[in-house]
Amino acid sequence: MMRRSWIVCCILAFCCSISAQEEDANRYTSHALMGGVGLANVFDNYLSPLEYTGIEARLQRETFRKTKLMEGNVFVQTLLNVNAYTTHSPAENAHMYGGLVNWNISWLYKWELNNRIKVLAGPMADMNGGVIYNERNSNNPAQAKAYANIGVNARVIYNFNLFHKPATLHYLASLPLLGAMFSPQYGESYYEMFGIKKGGSHNVCLTTPFSQPSLRHAIYLDYPISNTTLRIGYVGDLQQHKVNNLKGHVYSHALMFGFVKNFKLIKQKDKDHVKTPYQL
Amino acid sequence: MVIMLLSFSSCIKGEDWGNGNAPMDNFKALWTIIDEHYCFFDYKAKAIGLDWNNVYKKYEARISEKMDNKQLFEVLGEMLSELQDGHVNLYASFDIARNWNWREDFPSNFNDSIQQLYLGKDYKIASGLKYKILPDNIGYIYYASFSNGIGDGNLSEVLNNLSTCDGIILDVRNNTGGNLSYAERLAARFTNEKILVGYICHKTGTGHNDFSKPEEVWLEPSDGVRWQKNAVVLTNRSCYSATNDFIKSVKRCPNVTIIGDRTGGGSGLPFSSEIPNGWSIRFSACPMYDADMQQTEFGIDPDIKVSQKKEDILKDKDTLIEFAREFLKK
Repeated sequence: MMRRSWIVCCILAFCCSISAQEEDANRYTSHALMGGVGLANVFDNYLSPLEYTGIEARLQRETFRKTKLMEGNVFVQTLLNVNAYTTHSPAENAHMYGGLVNWNISWLYKWELNNRIKVLAGPMADMNGGVIYNERNSNNPAQAKAYANIGVNARVIYNFNLFHKPATLHYLASLPLLGAMFSPQYGESYYEMFGIKKGGSHNVCLTTPFSQPSLRHAIYLDYPISNTTLRIGYVGDLQQHKVNNLKGHVYSHALMFGFVKNFKLIKQKDKDHVKTPYQL
Repeated sequence: MVIMLLSFSSCIKGEDWGNGNAPMDNFKALWTIIDEHYCFFDYKAKAIGLDWNNVYKKYEARISEKMDNKQLFEVLGEMLSELQDGHVNLYASFDIARNWNWREDFPSNFNDSIQQLYLGKDYKIASGLKYKILPDNIGYIYYASFSNGIGDGNLSEVLNNLSTCDGIILDVRNNTGGNLSYAERLAARFTNEKILVGYICHKTGTGHNDFSKPEEVWLEPSDGVRWQKNAVVLTNRSCYSATNDFIKSVKRCPNVTIIGDRTGGGSGLPFSSEIPNGWSIRFSACPMYDADMQQTEFGIDPDIKVSQKKEDILKDKDTLIEFAREFLKK
């Protein structure tokens, strides 16, 4: 009887140990907030056949957290991108203004190539909403942007030491594969769409990599300074579409700067041992 | 890296018309924009013998790399005038190319000095509307532009003020258009039932005949005060665009009689674009038809044609207003 009790206690203790470890690991979460400025190239042939160029401002918020899924090898990543741009025509006598809000969630499976390099990849879903406004057009002054996708996200994390401190290099890429996009037809006015038809058919289009060959990618360097982790990097946001015989793109390239905060939901006695999810 | 290469290999770019300042590049850009977006090629081929490919050949020969901006503007403006469309304009910082033959080739049938005598000094103003009661108890409303906003509250107030009149004259002469919503809002005061007033469609591709299925346009009666007595709408050749659309709608209303001259037309909803040197272009993009699926691009005939008489001008009389007053008194 004593022996059986001992075995049960050992099993329970082992299970609790595993559970505690998993719970501990998935309580690590990382939040990054960045702002940046960059260049924008905007083309939408509903508004103009010409490419407009200018500057953009961008905010990005990222959360990255380990989950219990698939033996703790799956991470949840969310990205919120908000950008706004002001651009001018090639002749510099007309302006287009616009912006987009993008929210993106992905579940990334981790492959650990060695103790420094991890590759993560998995499915993602994203939603996008925004507008482009051309200041001098008459009945086609603006183009609403609304689309959602499922696709794949990938992330490469490289941990290394820089000036005797732990640094992390990230490369992120997001590629939509299948989605739905709102678009007027080639010469359709918003007056007809919403003033007469009260919402029309043919205005929601199925998108694939052929009709929406788009990519968001970024490269960041995290570096600890004092009690804070600084993040600097680059975001390349290349959005393109070709639906309803209308085509367009918004290319933006921004330099980003911000901070990373690593959280653990339980009290941590030794801050030197707080791990970031990028190190798990 | 593979993903990046795939994305860059499938770039979706704007049209490459070469050097933004080269006359030939701008000529080709303008011709192509109209070729791919203009909505009346088929109709105007039959109505006025327009052949856009011939237009290219005719005007290409006049383009020279040595010509200056003003010479180029003149040639491009002449090319656009082949469309005979008041909604087609080329805008440069020094001029606007236009075709206003729809009104300039015809008598105006409107004299604002004489009209002012009818309004006097004691007329009322409700947003974009000027109105008063004439001595013979006929209400007179003048709406100079559908670009001047009118709200439902304005319309109810005006019609309430004129409710004791034997009839009203709604004068939209020289109203060259504006906002279609205001035209619809005003027309909705003259029907108690939902009326089919026309159709609208749009281009679905670059071909001259790539059009969507025509969509029915219905006039819904207003929830506010609606005019139940007889009404006359006065028109002339300067009734264009949204005003033409208003006439198309009220012509279907039961107690409304259109008196005056044929309207100027302009039934294409205009869109804008631009050419590489920065000149802006406006063109008819979406054709709108009447309830019989007939074009009104070249105007709508009145129910009763009345022209301004010279002898009336000498007497400071507006022939159309006088005719309308007599008509309503009967």
